[in-house]
Amino acid sequence: QDAPAAPSAIATGAAQGAAMASGAGSYTPMKPVEGIGMPIDGAYGLQTQFSKTGEYGEWIHNIILMPIITAICVLVLILLAVIAVRFNRRRNPVASKTSHNTILEVVWTLVPVLILIGIAVPSIDLIAKQYKPAPEGALTIKVTGNQWFWTYGYPDNGDFEVISNMLNVPGAPTINNGVREVGSKPWDGPSHLEVDNRMVVPVGEPIRLQITAADVIHSFAVPSLWFKLDAVPGRINEKVLVVEKPGVYYGQCSELCGAKHGYMPIAVEALPRDKYNAWVLTHAGAEIDTGKKKPAAAAAVPAPAADASEAAPAADATAEAE
Amino acid sequence: MAGTKNHDYHILPPDIAPLATTVGAFTFTTGMVLFMHEMPGGMFVPWAGMAILLASMFMWFSKIIHEAHAGDHTPVVQLHQRYGMILFIASEVMFFVGWFWAFFDFSLFPSELAESIGGQWPPKAIEAVMDPFALPLLNTLILLCSGTTVTWAHHSLIHGDRDGLKKGLWATILLGVFFSFIQAYEYIHAPFGFGGNTYGSAFYMATGFHGFHVIVGTIMLIVCLKRTYNGDFTPRQHFGFEAAAWYWHFVDVVWLFLFVAVYIWGGWGYPTH
Amino acid sequence: MATTADHFQAHSEEHGHHDHEHKPAFFARWFMSTNHKDIGTMYLIFAIIAGIVGGAFSGMMRVELAHPGIQYLDTFARWFGAVNPDFNTTLHTWNVLITAHGLIMVFFMVMPAMIGGFGNWFVPLMIGAPDMAFPRMNNISFWMTVAGFLSLMVSPFVPGGTGNGAGTGWTVYAPLSTSGSPGPAVDFGIFALHLAGAGSIMGAINFITTILNMRAPGMTIHKMPLFVWSMLVTAFLLLLSLPVLAAAITMLLTDRNFGTTFFDASGGGDPILYQHLFWFFGHPEVYIMILPGFGIISQIVSTFSKKPVFGYLGMAYAMVAIGVVGFIVWAHHMYATGLSVNTKMYFTAATMVIAVPTGIKIFSWIATMWGGSVEFKSPMVWALGFIFLFTVGGVTGVVLANGGVDDVMHDTYYVVAHFHYVLSLGAVTALFAGFYYWFPKMSGKMHSEFLAHVHFVIFFIGVNMIFFPMHFLGLQGMPRRYPDYAEAYEYWNHIATIGYMVMASSLVVWFVNIIYAYVAGKKAEDNYWGEGATTLEWTLPSPPPFHQFETLPVIGETAHH
Ligand code: HEA
Ligand code: HEA
Ligand code: CUA
Ligand SMILES: [Cu+2]
Repeated sequence: QDAPAAPSAIATGAAQGAAMASGAGSYTPMKPVEGIGMPIDGAYGLQTQFSKTGEYGEWIHNIILMPIITAICVLVLILLAVIAVRFNRRRNPVASKTSHNTILEVVWTLVPVLILIGIAVPSIDLIAKQYKPAPEGALTIKVTGNQWFWTYGYPDNGDFEVISNMLNVPGAPTINNGVREVGSKPWDGPSHLEVDNRMVVPVGEPIRLQITAADVIHSFAVPSLWFKLDAVPGRINEKVLVVEKPGVYYGQCSELCGAKHGYMPIAVEALPRDKYNAWVLTHAGAEIDTGKKKPAAAAAVPAPAADASEAAPAADATAEAE
Repeated sequence: MAGTKNHDYHILPPDIAPLATTVGAFTFTTGMVLFMHEMPGGMFVPWAGMAILLASMFMWFSKIIHEAHAGDHTPVVQLHQRYGMILFIASEVMFFVGWFWAFFDFSLFPSELAESIGGQWPPKAIEAVMDPFALPLLNTLILLCSGTTVTWAHHSLIHGDRDGLKKGLWATILLGVFFSFIQAYEYIHAPFGFGGNTYGSAFYMATGFHGFHVIVGTIMLIVCLKRTYNGDFTPRQHFGFEAAAWYWHFVDVVWLFLFVAVYIWGGWGYPTH
Repeated sequence: MATTADHFQAHSEEHGHHDHEHKPAFFARWFMSTNHKDIGTMYLIFAIIAGIVGGAFSGMMRVELAHPGIQYLDTFARWFGAVNPDFNTTLHTWNVLITAHGLIMVFFMVMPAMIGGFGNWFVPLMIGAPDMAFPRMNNISFWMTVAGFLSLMVSPFVPGGTGNGAGTGWTVYAPLSTSGSPGPAVDFGIFALHLAGAGSIMGAINFITTILNMRAPGMTIHKMPLFVWSMLVTAFLLLLSLPVLAAAITMLLTDRNFGTTFFDASGGGDPILYQHLFWFFGHPEVYIMILPGFGIISQIVSTFSKKPVFGYLGMAYAMVAIGVVGFIVWAHHMYATGLSVNTKMYFTAATMVIAVPTGIKIFSWIATMWGGSVEFKSPMVWALGFIFLFTVGGVTGVVLANGGVDDVMHDTYYVVAHFHYVLSLGAVTALFAGFYYWFPKMSGKMHSEFLAHVHFVIFFIGVNMIFFPMHFLGLQGMPRRYPDYAEAYEYWNHIATIGYMVMASSLVVWFVNIIYAYVAGKKAEDNYWGEGATTLEWTLPSPPPFHQFETLPVIGETAHH
């Protein structure tokens, strides 16, 4: 349902793709929309969210937590101000000797307890939702952190691997040898965030991300998707990612991993199924996963709606491939 | 008021021992870095540091003994010492909590991904473990026994039986030395190595730190024995002895946990050697 | 600082009739000290030096972060001895800076100042004791801290991973700190923690014994000033948490050098184990840094309101509760490591509990002032600043406590903002409050109240400018431990760097004030704050005699804290 409302950039990307591609598996990276899936200078809130957990988390933060903590700070400030005005030495030369008030003490113990319970209920619910395991047939993507780049494996698509390096910054020392500079292609996003090969994912479907690391700990983090999970050597951390809208979402390695920790960004490009499939086919030995297990699984998994909405574009893709 | 001390606390004159001990410790740690990185001085500096450390500690403890004789250890000062020793042992307990934490993490959740482990405990890379009911059991008995001999010594001391005190201490020290020798023998003949996998790491570091504590405890007891021959300790005042005894019991209890958890439970049903 | 020594000398001349003022000669006095006040002074001077070093490191960080791109790191790399550093070495230097900054501030500035400095000076004075229980051990605690600092200061100049220095972060996570950082730098860092840790454990034993055994006749445990209570709880936290850190960093050491595989996945080890062990120490550690501050603030608030502390017992046991609960919340630093859902829920709930006793403290301070006759002398102004700034830092902690929300905040500048509000704006503000409260007592000279207020105002504006925008950066997703960033993070970073300059200028005012006090400051009376100051240190001259309470004071039935 979200797909039709997709920003015009998608259309541009698609048009470019159509223009440049003639054979099967043609793909042109999508041009990101300014301010979407990336930070905005001078902004002071969370990035706009593009996943269900993200929307929920954003709601908890903006509607519950922020007002409460602001109110607490303001309350403390007001009380201090009142003291400054009313109980300074000139206004109140003789200090009272009160040092106990049981009711007051009970109140300022119980009220915070109640507030915290109020916070805990949605907060715990959010955790529960985040941990819903991926449905059986979900696409699996293997994410591996390396010093200092990411690799993305697609075991369900013929097990090809994408190596993702940050683009060099013009005028700055070379960060990755043999990688182009940011801005040299029309679809390049912001410097420090854009990569040579993005992690492309199908939009609207639950994706099982299996995250690990080859050397030291890294962390796979995309703020606009409310996603952060450490890549730990010797462990496979797993979590579901569902991207709601097609687009490019930027993130950065979020665990100190050595010298170039600051230079291993993450770019997630979420495409409609057909475009995703087309992207998959640009890789040697690639195959489309839907044919193998999606139809069977689709009935069983609780995401038929998403699948249905993609049915049409999927057909489209086949047509385009002819 | 001026210049007169109207309380029982121990006000000390300036003393070089703390700074000297620190110099020893710093030289030792720096030397260890040199040693570990095979840098110049690596074979010498740690020993120098250790020597300074031990010498200054010797100086320090000699002073304490001297002060005890001088009557500085009033009842309240002795109470301080008791508190100090108990708190020190509490911190030692937390140190071992760290090693046990590692052991239980590895044994309860053995890595599936590491080939050397293969999701089992003891790990695949370990062909055989020590038979807990052979030498380790003997060691358990030795330590338990030494717990009773040290108590024997204590009772003798309280009842003014200097001879019993000496015998009890001798027995405890010998048992402690025995324990260390058996432990060394076991290390040499162990069917698994130190590095390379979590079993060796957790086993040797936990039991090794215990062994180190046994040696420290033994030294404390030896000092007590020497002091006994010197005529130190009275039935009413002998905290130096008690501290050593407490420490010894602590070392004993840690061993029981190691024996039950690491040796018996941690190798249950596995081939032994 | 020779001035202090000279001063003490001068003082003893003035009071020539006090023959017990007989002080040891210079070397014996300062290198062989067994006097809690001298040791406290040394701790304070040490902490100030370390604070300047750590503050300088943060200045180097702030100039680099003023704009995107790498501007100064290359120069800094050369300062640490790199010859023609390549780009990786340059970047590594960033990690060295933040690591040194974090470790220095935590272990060699806040802890020595709070515990070693003010704790040493005022715990014995406040409980009416002539000295600490173990005066000689007190001295080695100090020297071990110095030795640790030396070890840490060697580290940036010797090879680490991709260049000189330990670039692991103050948390020293494996395997970056093991297989990821060959070279002796990290070993020097680890030993720095061993040495300082040993010193702190001995200090903790000393404080607990002193507080439990050396209270003056009549001072029951429920009559102890709250600063003493705070030190008691802090000492227990140190005693029980530091040894676990010692075990963890010893594992790092053997993994690095002797082939064990505690944290090496190929040998079945578990990098997450290190984090559990570290944070089992690390979380109590953050309360170790703030509880003495709570104690200082309680004394000041009561003094300048001319009222006893409101809800004394609640205040004391709130600290006990914070200490106890502080031991069972550690994994809130690890929400992103892949904890199980139940673990995450548990730690979310447990962590939020701490807001309750902390709230009791905030509200009790306010209630203490309520109805008081409040004088806004410099310590009080700093204390008010503390109460507000700590609240701001505390409530963002409650935001982070939510495991599901932390997924977007973790390892971003939101966390950096949180912990600087409780540390650089909380603990440090408490330190300055304590400094102005007690400086005349310790030195015998009055500082300038005017300069102290100016110091406060500039500092307050400066630090808020540095750290408030970091919340915005964090919410927008800027990760921590980055020397360089996307252009979209420039605006707030630039403001933060300007804030640093403002804050730094306030420190100049502080130094001027200290110099003023020694050069032109009035002589401090015994109780220069007047009727509100009721604890025992105010019954003594400023500075107190070399050995105080040679006849123990007796605390009457009716006396209150
Ligand atoms: C002095 C140090 C100090 C103190 C006191 C605190 C206090 C708290 N901290 Fe903080 N924290 C740090 C230092 C400190 N912290 C540091 C250094 C880190 C980062 C380490 C690193 O990664 O390098 C960190 C990180 C950190 C994290 C991990 C973030 C992450 O890495 O993702 C979390 C998560 O739960 C957290 C939570 C809390 C909470 C809940 C408190 C609570 O104790 C706060 C309680 C106080 C209040 C809540 C305000 C007063 C209360 C009221 C006015 C009552 C009413 C309030 C309510 C009802 C909410 N802290
Ligand atoms: C107590 C702890 C403390 C204090 C005071 C500070 C103070 C400051 N810190 Fe902080 N900082 C940390 C602890 C602290 N920091 C930690 C633990 C980290 C994480 C490291 C890591 O990621 O591993 C960190 C990280 C950190 C970062 C993030 C780096 C990154 O992630 O890449 C930044 C960035 O701007 C920063 C800046 C500053 C600045 C500008 C100050 C300024 O406020 C500094 C100004 C100096 C002072 C205010 C101190 C003055 C005090 C004295 C001189 C002593 C006074 C003594 C008496 C009165 C007795 N620090
Ligand atoms: Cu990879 Cu940080
Ligand atoms: Cu914490």
